[in-house]
Amino acid sequence: MKTENIPLDILYLQDERFRISYFFSLAKLVLSLKKIGLTHPPLAAWRDNLLILVTGWKRVLACLELSLSPIPIVCLEEQSDLKLFQKAFYENLAIREYSLLEKAEIVKKLLHFGEEEKSILKHCLPRLGIPPTAYHLDAYLAVAALSPEMKTFIHEKQMPLASVELLIGFSPEDRQLLLPLLLPLSQNKQKELLEDCREISIREELPVNRILAAADIQEILDAKKLSPLQKSNKIRHLLRRQRYPQLSSRQERFQTALRKVDWPRDVSLHPSPFFEEDRVTLQFSFRNEQELKSCLSKLQAASANKEFSGVFKPSADD
Amino acid sequence: MEFPLTARILRNTPEVAHEVIDDPQALIEDVRLSRQPVELGKRYLLLTKQKGSFVKPCPCTPHYLGCNYFIINLETNCPLDCSYCILQDYLTNPLLTVHVNLEDLWRELDAFISKRDRAFRIGTGELGDSLALDHITENSADLISYFRGKNSAIFELKTKTVNIDNVLNQQPAPNIIISWSLNTRKLAQDQEVGAPAVEERILAAKKVTLKGFRVGFHFDPLIRYPGWEADYEDVVDLLLESVNSEQIAWISLGSLRFPPDFVSIINRRFPASKIFHDEFVRGLDGKYRYFKSLRVELYHKMVDYIRDRAGADVPLYFCMESRDVWWEVLKKMPRNKEEIERSLTYPAADLKE
Repeated sequence: MKTENIPLDILYLQDERFRISYFFSLAKLVLSLKKIGLTHPPLAAWRDNLLILVTGWKRVLACLELSLSPIPIVCLEEQSDLKLFQKAFYENLAIREYSLLEKAEIVKKLLHFGEEEKSILKHCLPRLGIPPTAYHLDAYLAVAALSPEMKTFIHEKQMPLASVELLIGFSPEDRQLLLPLLLPLSQNKQKELLEDCREISIREELPVNRILAAADIQEILDAKKLSPLQKSNKIRHLLRRQRYPQLSSRQERFQTALRKVDWPRDVSLHPSPFFEEDRVTLQFSFRNEQELKSCLSKLQAASANKEFSGVFKPSADD
Repeated sequence: MEFPLTARILRNTPEVAHEVIDDPQALIEDVRLSRQPVELGKRYLLLTKQKGSFVKPCPCTPHYLGCNYFIINLETNCPLDCSYCILQDYLTNPLLTVHVNLEDLWRELDAFISKRDRAFRIGTGELGDSLALDHITENSADLISYFRGKNSAIFELKTKTVNIDNVLNQQPAPNIIISWSLNTRKLAQDQEVGAPAVEERILAAKKVTLKGFRVGFHFDPLIRYPGWEADYEDVVDLLLESVNSEQIAWISLGSLRFPPDFVSIINRRFPASKIFHDEFVRGLDGKYRYFKSLRVELYHKMVDYIRDRAGADVPLYFCMESRDVWWEVLKKMPRNKEEIERSLTYPAADLKE
């Protein structure tokens, strides 16, 4: 192992066998290099007369951006790709958290370089903060096998594993259909849309293209006046209603009953989550006795209305 | 090796290879790290000592009404493979396990019973099937002998099997209940892998009633699917035509419920099963349950089927349900789990041999 000053054009960067990270910004590193130079040399190794980078991809790419060459590089004589990759793995493990996509890449490459599955399960997954089960190993391998477009989407939207797993559960064609709907949504709403789509698809034995071909969904997709976010949200609501017909109907009856009794706007009435309990919660605020009396009077009028019982009706037949 | 139960199990399994291991943790970890931990775990029988307490209160679930049941952790895990079985997710040790230090169990039970000031229910069928391994453990005979005459303890053996030979060799006692988990024929066939057909279970129940035992039945989990109403009615018909309702100690009803993490196990192990893809919402305890009106519909139908055929005297109760549901279906609102316990224990405890 020796450190040499090596011109960057000697490095064969097309060979990415040891590369873990693909999504990063170089801005801060470029600034750091400008201020203090390269203090921590990358590691490289010779393969078939080509010098291949083992660690320090960000550093080398930042140096390239600054045309900083030659730079000090530690050339390793290790012949085992697995051992070299372990250096890349452990070097970064000590200093930062790996992202979901990096973890997937690490797991894939450890297997590729010949690490035993049992060893990955027992040692590597816990070190990456992943539960040591074959299920989780497979989930990360599936992430690693996704298309670059999907990986970019996952990175940009910072999708958590639970949502990525849902996405992976769809065919590549279905994922392409879902992607434009997911793009404008927040993480939670993405997950909700994916879950609803999956449940409807399984329950009703419908492929995603048939679910999205429904007339009411097509009408939304074709609407020129709606923004992508508005389209996604409207479709999300339709899917929710399709997945939860009883719950949606109960919610609608509750809201309809409140409208019919002219429920005061400044008083909120909340059912228990998913109407699991019969009790409802009433919430309002007031600044003085007069406001309280006014509010109570409005409440009395609303609750005296015969339609008010609809708030508590569990089904339309009751 | 020094425990009599170990010797008995080895005597009953002469064809099975066995190995003495110092520490089962390495084996447990190997199985847990395997690609099919649930399946593989069912192929090992670990005989070990119960180092903690045998008797524990049934954990039930927060925010819903329990029944003050006590469980005896004599055996954990089960050779059957029901798709909805929570043990797939619940047990950290995936091996079929029998705790062989029965002598400690009897001592612990003596102390436990002496401290209780009222009748209570206790059983072995929560973390495993009470009779699935009984042909090799013969535990049912010891347990029935132990509990006979201890009338404050209503002891239940709960099973899906027809492994009743050892039970039939015992004399019945009023505080000993042999109970079966039942479901529709279709669900038993599609979802309860390795379990005998419903007809066989009911026939086994009939045999133990003819011997003089009282029996219990658990329709849990009740599961919706196209045609569930007629299928459940058929099972109730068959059950109440076969078994004298006066010998039924209780029938429990519970609907399908599962924790969120369970879904990933199901998707992997039973990808074709559609029972987990219905209108499930998060309950107050965080587990998925059918939307309440769907549960109420299930229970209403079941209660009607049972009451129409067995009358109003068969004790019915819900497992892990809310007071609202109790009221809506049975027009009873138990104040607490002790009240449910009382309703299920006094009739049995009052019986004379």
